[in-house]
Amino acid sequence: MTDQLTRRELLKRGAAGSAMLTVPGLLAACGGKAKSSAAKSTNKLAKTLHFSNWTLYMDTNKKTHSFPSLVQFQKKYGVHVDYVEDINDNASFFGKIQGQLSRGQSVNRDIVVLTDNDRYLSLMIKKGYVEKLDKSAIPNMKNLVDVQKHPNFDQNRDYSLPWQSGMTGIAYNDTLTGPVLSVDDLLTNPKLKGKVTCLNSMGDALTLVMLSNGDDPSKVTDKSFNAAFNRVKKAVDSKQIRQFTGNDYAPILARGDLMAAMSWSGDIAQLGNQHIHWNVPKDGGALWTDNMLIPKGGNVYTASFYMNYVYDPKVQGLMEAGDPKKNITGIYYIPPVAGAGEWAKKYDPSVANNPLIFPTQKMLDSVHLFDNSALNNQKYLTQWQNLISA
Amino acid sequence: MSSIAVPNARERNVLAGALAFVRRHVLTVYSLLFFAYLLLPIAVVMVFSFNHPTGKFNYTWQGFTWDNWRYWDGVPGIRSAIFLSLEIGLVASLIATALGTMIALALVRYGFRGRATTNILIFLPLSTPEIVLGASLLTLFLNLSFVTFGFWTILIAHIMFCISFAVVTVKARLVGFDRHLEEAAMDLGANEWTTFRKVTLPLTAPAILAALLLCFAISIDDFVVTYFNSGSEVTFPLFVWGAARIGAPPQVNVIGTAIFIVAVTAMLFNVLYQRRREVRA
Amino acid sequence: MSFFHRHRGLTPYLLLGPGIAWLAVFFVVPLGFLAYQSLQSGNFDIGYAFTWSWGNYWHAIRDYHAQFVRSLEYAGLATVLALVISYPVAYWIAFRGGRWKNLLLLFIVAPFFVTYLIRTLAWETILSDNGFVVNTLQSLHVLGPSGRLLATSAAVVTGITYNFLPFMALPLYVSLEQIDGSLIEAAEDLYASKLQAFLRVTLPLSLPGVVAGTLLTFIPAAGDFINAQLLGAPENHMIGNVIQSKFLELTDYPAAASMSFILMGGILVAVAIYARIVGTEQLTGTAA
Repeated sequence: MTDQLTRRELLKRGAAGSAMLTVPGLLAACGGKAKSSAAKSTNKLAKTLHFSNWTLYMDTNKKTHSFPSLVQFQKKYGVHVDYVEDINDNASFFGKIQGQLSRGQSVNRDIVVLTDNDRYLSLMIKKGYVEKLDKSAIPNMKNLVDVQKHPNFDQNRDYSLPWQSGMTGIAYNDTLTGPVLSVDDLLTNPKLKGKVTCLNSMGDALTLVMLSNGDDPSKVTDKSFNAAFNRVKKAVDSKQIRQFTGNDYAPILARGDLMAAMSWSGDIAQLGNQHIHWNVPKDGGALWTDNMLIPKGGNVYTASFYMNYVYDPKVQGLMEAGDPKKNITGIYYIPPVAGAGEWAKKYDPSVANNPLIFPTQKMLDSVHLFDNSALNNQKYLTQWQNLISA
Repeated sequence: MSSIAVPNARERNVLAGALAFVRRHVLTVYSLLFFAYLLLPIAVVMVFSFNHPTGKFNYTWQGFTWDNWRYWDGVPGIRSAIFLSLEIGLVASLIATALGTMIALALVRYGFRGRATTNILIFLPLSTPEIVLGASLLTLFLNLSFVTFGFWTILIAHIMFCISFAVVTVKARLVGFDRHLEEAAMDLGANEWTTFRKVTLPLTAPAILAALLLCFAISIDDFVVTYFNSGSEVTFPLFVWGAARIGAPPQVNVIGTAIFIVAVTAMLFNVLYQRRREVRA
Repeated sequence: MSFFHRHRGLTPYLLLGPGIAWLAVFFVVPLGFLAYQSLQSGNFDIGYAFTWSWGNYWHAIRDYHAQFVRSLEYAGLATVLALVISYPVAYWIAFRGGRWKNLLLLFIVAPFFVTYLIRTLAWETILSDNGFVVNTLQSLHVLGPSGRLLATSAAVVTGITYNFLPFMALPLYVSLEQIDGSLIEAAEDLYASKLQAFLRVTLPLSLPGVVAGTLLTFIPAAGDFINAQLLGAPENHMIGNVIQSKFLELTDYPAAASMSFILMGGILVAVAIYARIVGTEQLTGTAA
């Protein structure tokens, strides 16, 4: 029984009052626990792939309101992708699915996407809430860019594969202020008082501040944490920082209520406003990557197969760039697939020259990752949250 | 006693007339201002539904277009989201109002044991922060292994938190209700059920309608509790929240405006219908 | 239906039954889980264990009493504002609405149809630092030259008030609408001025609506988090924000649970005091 059970099927069974009403029960009837159902599936693709992702993270055809790469996938392999954009925040999504996962229940999803500069990605892997990838189904994994091959939360890429990456830096509005190119400027320049925001994500914010302090964000110590924390606290107390935001800084920036904001690269590219400029801060910025995971109970083979499809440079190029001639908008973040750039150029040349989508080597050298163990340090987290909700 | 200029009779009349005019209309003017204030964001939403944004964001006016209305479901997922929200809103508000009205009747009309407990039970859901309300309901569902998340779990949750609103709203009406009308009906030979149907219910109707509207509004706007108990279903607020974080497409404005217009139109028909009935009567 | 005559004692329980049962299963039981969680200790890494950890409650008060108090303050202020703003309108609809009543009621809840986030974003546009409102207030010297409305406590309270207006206005209307106009006429026949008639007749008769509206506004407003998050600075955050972060970011479920109970307790105390002042009949309704 390799078909992914749909909710409708489960409801039907419920109505029939069948005894095998739990997913583990049903899978047991199929001759295997949730864990081993993947190993047993004899390389047969399921009819449906349940893919949960963040919003606006897939190539979209605005006229036919469909996702071209997913349509193509279905045409080629006969698998319908049930694509749901119900992830808008790592914390709330994790809060939503952890109950079921901690009880060994399936969440009816084959692929979910979480960010690496938040604690939940590593937590999912650490707590065993995810299935191992079927690497034999992902030969295209060799196209993964080198820098992503051995992240510290998943040394051998057994459980995760990057979806897209982005950078954290500083955006400023040139009609209101001169260039704001450093964290120093952002946090202490009196001309910007009350007109800057900081990100509420500890991983993002402290990476930037630590780099500005000359510390290494990938190896956080109490000392470097406190130094960075106190700097931010000072900016809060002096009312330099107006608010802590998620990506709701975008409307505030666009309105002109902010002169500068700590922000994510992709958002600014999408703002469509020539007066708002994004830069990697002088002392360095952050690199974050959204990763695909297979939650427990997901169909490993089909999910892995899809990942392989996505790691084909030609497919990735189309997804990334879209195709303006056919009214397809692309993803416009940083693809993790080597060679995608060449293909993207063919569909939309302007995209290949956009440093926010295909960053220069110089840019890539100046962005850093945050220490994963620090992300799970309860003490640091509590302190940070108390600062945000003073 | 100092001398006060006493207005003569004619001046007094004009003054009184002017004051009466102001008094009669100040309330109307105030109320109109109130509605302007209330509906101001709706107006902004409506205007921006015609915006032609160049990027993902719809915050600054960039140009007029009918495109958003033409391709109102041009954003994948928006159509099913809004239908789901409307469906749940209607069903949940009907059931919650029915249950709430019954509770309100019991509380106001009858003596029974456990009155204080019932009152506390009604107030508690209102005071529980949404996130723990949603999460603890999720825990309940998780422990009932036959439950699958989706339409039914969302519906159950919505009814649960709407009941209290319905109770309090209808109760406000029943507390001051004149029992004499019912007594008169029964004196005239009607039994309890007929009295209820022909006297109590019509007189309580405005409160029931108000409760329905309130429950519907709450349900169609709920985010946190729904999020935790929706499985992979996406309601309209969930859709908007996801999209707005990154850049709400103008279609969201279109839908919001459309719901508003449809509801207003429905009510207008209601007004015309009532006028027709009065003319005939 | 003589069944009801004979079993009169049963009627209230039959009426209460379905609704209370619903709440019992889908609210009280979850609340039980929550109570259990509030006495646990541990964290996500090592798991949670039930340890009668009453310390959670003490820590919650010790560390976050500022936010608790602030929440009650903001909610109280918003409730008073909502009452003052909505009462005249509810009166107007009830007495002058005529056949337009239902339509006007619809307009009151209309903002809810466009989702919270959108209408808050619209308000942010209206209250923008460079917007018409702020500029006007600056030229009237109500605000300093670099003053702003957003990211202040004023914005948060205004946001809460706006979002809870229907919760106040509808119960007020419900209560006002049933007032018999002849009572007011009688008062005026007895030489009362319009104002006196209002104060002596209308207002007291509308008290159940006032009570209902204030409860429906104050209670949920105290636990609100979204206004503070979008419209406030860190120093304006309410207890709802803290509970939110305890639950989601810190996965500190025992803390979130215990804080929720403290919030509920605080609200119940406030409501009990309120009931004293107003008189319990209005609050709970007189039995037949």
